Amino acid sequence: MKRWLPPLLLVAALIGLWQLAADTGFLADAFGLEPFLVPSPSEIATVLWKDRSLLAENARVTLVEIVAGFFVALAAGIGVAILFHRFGFVRRAGYPLVVASQTIPVIVIAPILVVWFGYGIGPKLAVIALICFFPIAVNTLDGLRSVDPDTVRMMRSLDASRRQVFLRVEAPAALPQAFSGSRIAVAVAVIGAVFGEWAGSDEGLGHLMLQDNAQLMTARMFASVAILSAIAMTLYGLLGLLERRVIRWR
Amino acid sequence: MRKLSLFALVLVAAITVTACGTKSEDNSSPVRETFSVALDWYPNPDHAGFLVAEDEGYFEDAGLDVSLSAPSDPSLPIKLVAAGKADVAISYEPEVLLAREQGLDVVAVSSLVDQPLTSMIWLKKSKIKRVKDLKGKTISTAGISYQDAYLKTILARAGLSEDDVKQVSVGQGLLPSIVSGRAQATLGPLWNIEGVDLKLSGKNPVINPVDKLGVPSYSELVLVAKGSRLEEDPDAVRLFISALARGTAEAVSNPGKATAAVLDANTALKPKVTAAQVKATLPLLRRGGLEGKDQPFGYMDTAKWQAFINWMVKQEVLASPAHAVDALTNDFLPSAPIDAG
Repeated sequence: MKRWLPPLLLVAALIGLWQLAADTGFLADAFGLEPFLVPSPSEIATVLWKDRSLLAENARVTLVEIVAGFFVALAAGIGVAILFHRFGFVRRAGYPLVVASQTIPVIVIAPILVVWFGYGIGPKLAVIALICFFPIAVNTLDGLRSVDPDTVRMMRSLDASRRQVFLRVEAPAALPQAFSGSRIAVAVAVIGAVFGEWAGSDEGLGHLMLQDNAQLMTARMFASVAILSAIAMTLYGLLGLLERRVIRWR
Repeated sequence: MRKLSLFALVLVAAITVTACGTKSEDNSSPVRETFSVALDWYPNPDHAGFLVAEDEGYFEDAGLDVSLSAPSDPSLPIKLVAAGKADVAISYEPEVLLAREQGLDVVAVSSLVDQPLTSMIWLKKSKIKRVKDLKGKTISTAGISYQDAYLKTILARAGLSEDDVKQVSVGQGLLPSIVSGRAQATLGPLWNIEGVDLKLSGKNPVINPVDKLGVPSYSELVLVAKGSRLEEDPDAVRLFISALARGTAEAVSNPGKATAAVLDANTALKPKVTAAQVKATLPLLRRGGLEGKDQPFGYMDTAKWQAFINWMVKQEVLASPAHAVDALTNDFLPSAPIDAG
């Protein structure tokens, strides 16, 4: 409980300040906070409650995209990391490409992916996976490469197979880093989901945000943002829990 | 080093020339009022009147120091006006009505294009002949709720319901959606801009403005100002609209000048396409689009606005009825009809 107190207090203080800024004319002027630009927390809370079924329905769609896209990235990221680790020439050839994958502005690539994959879940998965892939791949690879070479040499001298070395030494050593990468990935996955939905969708929080922006329904747009944050934080927390369960030796 | 000193020399010369220019202008009109204008989108042929007025110095003549700015989100300008960050903005009639319902203190002060430009477009290759053929097809939209209501009305007139088609919102990706064939029709492009572009690139588009398919007519582009600002300082807006009317008249009578002004303001545009778009757009800008000879530039017809409001209420885009007389004012238009060449 003690661990949760500081962030809770900070968030409460910030929200309180924001509410105050929205309510009092003086602060609103100073910050340029006007309800149609930045709705107050109480307005957002009201909309969250009033439109809860609409928001929940769209949040479910986006959550499915995020989780599925994340798993695609996890498989690809860890796969590439192992491949790079196992074959030096593959790493030397492929690493620049992995870095280059991060330089693609997602908002540019999303509409192209939509034309390729259609308006279903495909392009959203691709966009999310593209965003999530990099932190997972790079962190996992770093983890694999951080293994003490003497340990590997000793294992080999004891007649361990490559597979045994990987499973008993390298993989466990890389796990903490792989988890770090995954946590970063899951936190940014929501951004990918929104961009994917902006490029072509008929449901989801990103889709709803497009509609709300055009209707000047700023409060509901911020409500969607709040839900996206909650999704990202929850997934981040779940990964943290999982990490503590899996990595018991730390 | 030599390059540097040459550069410095040019810089000094430029500053001197600019300074002289400013000085001589200052003599003719002592202090100009700053006046900021938020366009609805990057400079394009819809803005020909603004751009020609700027190039020809009509705003300076009116005693205004006008700055034009373009957002990347067309729903932003009206918010800037309501927040007092811009003096006037280009917006859309439905957007003005929605903003007012949300409590924003904005009023339409001039019509710029007094008819719908938003269109439904399909390509010949889609084999669609009429709206009825859209049954079971995918239609892309920009994800704007009132445009979804256009679609509902269009479908209903052809005896279809929303469930008969697959609707997908693609934001800015309207044209790619039909060119790629991912969607068979799109609702949202402007016939004088994207429509002309599609035609020139040989895609054989079939273009129907929404008012030809059953949506009541409305002003696609209007100029909006903040209500309280109009009370405090009515003259600036009045002067601005007069100068804009002058710029528009000049653009209409001189399409080459209009095209050059648009291309100057936005170097990313394709010159040939832009020239064709300007040609298609100028007749719309003329007198703010109105046919009648006895109306001033930018005149807005209250009855027409009311009919559109009633339709929006019926479509549940507006939650409650509104009065057109509150949403628009013709009081800031030039008193005499401007004859555009």
